[in-house]
Amino acid sequence: MGNKNLGSNGRIIGKDLIRYFILIYWIVFWLFNVVDKIIGGAHFLFVGKDRFAQIERFFDSLGLGNPIFANVALIITAGLEIFAFVCFSGALYHFLKKNSDTARSWFFMGIVLTLTTFTFFSIGDQIFGDHSELLEHGLFWFITLLSWIIFIRIDKIQIFNTFSIGKKQLFASTVFTIVIASISTFAIFSHNHTSFIERIQVVDAVKITDNKYKITFPFLAGSKAFENSIAKFKADNPALNINYIYTTPTPLKLAESDGLIIYIQTDSIR
Amino acid sequence: MKEKKIIQYLILIYWTFFGALTVIDKIVPDVYPYWVGVDFYTLFIKLFASLGISDPLFATIALAGITFIEVLAFVCYLFSLFNLFKGKDKTSEQWFYRGVSFSVLLFSIFSIGDQVFGDRFNLLEHGIFWIILVVSWVVYKYNSLIEERVIKFSFSNDIKIGILVGAFLTVIASYSILDFSQSTFTNKTQAVQGQEVVAGVYKFDFPFLGDKFVMENTLKAFEEEHPDLKVNYIYTGPGELNSKKKTHMLLYVFTEQKK
Repeated sequence: MGNKNLGSNGRIIGKDLIRYFILIYWIVFWLFNVVDKIIGGAHFLFVGKDRFAQIERFFDSLGLGNPIFANVALIITAGLEIFAFVCFSGALYHFLKKNSDTARSWFFMGIVLTLTTFTFFSIGDQIFGDHSELLEHGLFWFITLLSWIIFIRIDKIQIFNTFSIGKKQLFASTVFTIVIASISTFAIFSHNHTSFIERIQVVDAVKITDNKYKITFPFLAGSKAFENSIAKFKADNPALNINYIYTTPTPLKLAESDGLIIYIQTDSIR
Repeated sequence: MKEKKIIQYLILIYWTFFGALTVIDKIVPDVYPYWVGVDFYTLFIKLFASLGISDPLFATIALAGITFIEVLAFVCYLFSLFNLFKGKDKTSEQWFYRGVSFSVLLFSIFSIGDQVFGDRFNLLEHGIFWIILVVSWVVYKYNSLIEERVIKFSFSNDIKIGILVGAFLTVIASYSILDFSQSTFTNKTQAVQGQEVVAGVYKFDFPFLGDKFVMENTLKAFEEEHPDLKVNYIYTGPGELNSKKKTHMLLYVFTEQKK
């Protein structure tokens, strides 16, 4: 990747597009990670992840319950993420200005910071015994390394010369897209029209034995549907007292086709 | 410093720490202050028991054998890193190759085990780490065969602006983190307020920091607030009732009037 006039022909535009995608991906990735740290907690239009709670619990599991440890770890992490974000933004700025060599230097610094961040996370994951997160961070470490190689080596890859599509194929693909998109849009809106009510709708209990009842909830059912169903059950059975609720565990469900199923056990009110 | 060298350092540091902590996890088998890790001994005992081999000797021998390969891999990465630091690039490359070979062997053994024990998630995990290792070696070796680019940074205006923006954002993020920590840390012990959602049924929406102590405090506070009620059943709301990632845990308390 040298200092050439990028965009002077179709081939370079195709390869630059991949570089733009790589840069934009990492900028957005770190931007949202930083926003997640600044916002903290779930709010209207932003849920994110409560990193303070997660890190505090991790440190507490080590016997370090004082929040100062979680705060320091989070601040170091945020610092690494912010500087990675700045480096990738600087790389994009110079790339747009056609300063390829400077863009590469900024991008390289962003890659170094990103690899350092994921190494730091992976060390923590092993100490805290969280192997799901270790896999996640190992994968991101890998993606970072590959991003770097693709960014600097894409010139060596043969790529098509032009983006243009023939008239016949353009017409056929457009018609095909419109038809399929219309069908899927209709299906989605139709499902919304008939099913959204399930989010809160009462589900009736089915008697299984003398004192046991089953309620099968639809996938959309939330806590309101549960509460409304319990209220209806109590109203329908004023002489019964709920003394136990059994939630069907995954092994008893039919693969992915069953939602939440509960069994209510009752006794008579004395 | 050359870009190639920095990437090699980062690859070696990652795998050296990975190897070191994997070995420590075997040496420290349980939960201790400053170390949680994974209880591989229990895992191996259960996996072998699922095959019908309940004698702990088999699981112990398997774990010791696996650990031996992990130690070999770690020593190779450590020596590779040391030699790279000393400028002995060829020797470093040889040690890294040995380390990758041991690790690839290890993940291959794990993958065979995962299929025998029927653990598909671990098979995915070990398969992914297997390919990451192989690609790490390819990147380490062929990263810059074509060019030797030296990284040079002078304090030009754009670098100064970048540092200022980064420092400014870090200050804002740090303030926000400290503020959030201060305002939510009480959630770690504070009782949660219940809401009567059905006659005699109260719902408690636990915060992310809430743990067993919050649960105990919540129940104590609830009983003090409602001396006329008797808690006869507690139900943990299953994940299906949660609003995706927004809800940590829902707890329903079923009560009746004391006679």
